[in-house]
Amino acid sequence: MSPTPDLSTPKQPELQALLDATVDAVIIIDSRGIVESFNRSGERLFGFTADEIIGRNVSILMTETDRGSHDGYMKRYMTSGVPHIIGIGREVEARRKDGSVFPVFLSVGRIHGADPPRFVGLLHDITLRREAMAAIRRERDRANMYLEMAQVILLALSPDRRVQLINRKGAESLARREMDLLGRDWLEIAVPADQHQAVFKELATVATSQSGEEHYFEHEVLASDGARHLIAWRCIPLRNARQQLTGYFASGEDITESRRSALEAQQTQQRMTQVSRLATMGEMAAGIAHELNQPLAAIANYASAARRLADSLKLEQLDQDGDVKLALEQIGQQALRAGEIIRRLRALVQNREINLEPANINDVVAEVIGFVAGDARLNEVKLVTDYGNALPTGLLDRIQVQQIALNLLRNAIEALIEHRDGQREILIRTSSLNGWLQLEIADNGPGVPAMLIDRIFDPFCTTKVTGTGLGLAISRTIAEAHHGKLTYQGDPQTGARFLLTLPISGE
Amino acid sequence: MTRSVTVFVVDDDDAVRSSLRLLLKSVGLPTVAYASAQEYLAAWHPDQPGCLVLDVRMPGMSGIELQAELNHRGAIMPVIFISGHGDIPMAVEAIQHGAFDFLQKPFRDQDLIDRVQRALASDGENRKLLLQRETLRQRFESLTPREQEVLLLVTQGKANKVMAGDLGVSQRTVEIHRARVMEKMGAQSLAQLVRMMLELESDTPQSRVN
Repeated sequence: MSPTPDLSTPKQPELQALLDATVDAVIIIDSRGIVESFNRSGERLFGFTADEIIGRNVSILMTETDRGSHDGYMKRYMTSGVPHIIGIGREVEARRKDGSVFPVFLSVGRIHGADPPRFVGLLHDITLRREAMAAIRRERDRANMYLEMAQVILLALSPDRRVQLINRKGAESLARREMDLLGRDWLEIAVPADQHQAVFKELATVATSQSGEEHYFEHEVLASDGARHLIAWRCIPLRNARQQLTGYFASGEDITESRRSALEAQQTQQRMTQVSRLATMGEMAAGIAHELNQPLAAIANYASAARRLADSLKLEQLDQDGDVKLALEQIGQQALRAGEIIRRLRALVQNREINLEPANINDVVAEVIGFVAGDARLNEVKLVTDYGNALPTGLLDRIQVQQIALNLLRNAIEALIEHRDGQREILIRTSSLNGWLQLEIADNGPGVPAMLIDRIFDPFCTTKVTGTGLGLAISRTIAEAHHGKLTYQGDPQTGARFLLTLPISGE
Repeated sequence: MTRSVTVFVVDDDDAVRSSLRLLLKSVGLPTVAYASAQEYLAAWHPDQPGCLVLDVRMPGMSGIELQAELNHRGAIMPVIFISGHGDIPMAVEAIQHGAFDFLQKPFRDQDLIDRVQRALASDGENRKLLLQRETLRQRFESLTPREQEVLLLVTQGKANKVMAGDLGVSQRTVEIHRARVMEKMGAQSLAQLVRMMLELESDTPQSRVN
């Protein structure tokens, strides 16, 4: 056996200085685990003095669990010669004199030339590092929690637009799992094809902008279930220290609902404006009705006076085609029509009382056809009338029923002008059925679009650019005030077809 | 002096007034037009037959006010209101105050002409009745007090003999009075005489027949 070198009092002062200066505990043990040397830092870390430790088994510095296995480790190395810790180091638990436990990083070296072998152990206190790591983990967990809890979509993309991070909200919006999204091309997996180009452009803009500069844009995402969500994105470029683009980071808010309700609010607003405009119009009509009706009355009177005077002067020889007579008649009729328009405008703001009187439906309808005949001729619309014979007398408000008929005829003419190039035709038919009168007005146009059929009698439903959408609504109200009905029975093959049902007089 | 049947138009709007005159003239109706209610009232005469076409709203005295004034004066001429406003409450009020009819401007010529002609017919009828009653009254007043006494008794159905007793005269004297009454009243029969008395007693003038 070679003499045991006394390392607690090293021969070289340099070595002693080194051992004392190092912040790690340095312990030398023999092959049985008996401590031969224990430096200053060791005393500081463990609370033992070198005297208390030297000569005792090193396991005194270990926790209960390590203590039993340490001898085994040493025996294994001694017999196999295969090192498990030497030159590698590992984190272990150490035990102070007062019994408290703390983490250390243990490196072990074998002292060469010694037989039986001796070992030197370096123990580095990693309490602070552990705490720092734990703090980092906590922060990371918290950040993850924020990501997951966030009610906005958080998304990080690589420069080639692959998904690098997406939070739960983002995955939910797309109805996909996070793992199915990571690494995928964002455009392909999430953006509808019709918006690829737009999103591509937006990202290109972000890529060329300053880091930290936020860009706002909106586009839809397409979920796996086919649902589309409109997302408002705020996107920044990510850059490395050399200002190279390393990706994109974006937060996205689902604004589908808020946009929809904003749109609805806007529509309501528009309707209100429209209603108030109508009310204003009605009031104006009331205000100017008197002024306007005076000259209209004069026009009508002059025209009919002229017509009668022409009759009495026997001008027929000079007016063989009856053109003068027609012109004079029309002047009067158009003046009456203008008066009727004013009256109807006023009816929009006044709940007119309904004035039911016995009337011949054919006469009522014939008068209205007189109103639109000019319009129809001008637009090459053929008016085909089919008046029922010996119909029962109706019980109705002549003016209001004419308002319905006029409205239906005007709609039909406008529909034909807009849509039909061939023979334009409107059929006007009167009949009676089961004690009711019927007025049918049908055209050979395209009919009411299927998606609108359920709503055409709703106020403000219109297909015309300048329409108020009130015509059919008012018409149906009038029909119901008669205890009658106004229904749409058309189909795309034959065109639009409206059926007005009116009561007959009991007399 | 007999006044000829005339349609009067009162409207402050020159064109309406002029066109109405022309329209009524074209169907052969003599028409006189005034621009205000005051002008019409100044020319008004109770014996003037015809009808009045009256604008509801006019500056100064309105059509409704003119109607009230005419009612106050006991006028019997039918009034057809015309209005550019056509407000229902006003029409109702006018009709309640005896208006013959109400038309909204502009109106169909035939609507006005029909109403004017019905109004003229109604006015003629009323005036004829009034004239008859006036004639009867004049005839009645031309009777002596004794003759009036006899007339009343005759129409009560009393026989000559009874009347002679009542009046304390001879039956012959009663017969002479009776013949004078029949002659002065222009009655052909006792029945006609009774009708005349009923007409006279119903003193409420049939001023408006709607």
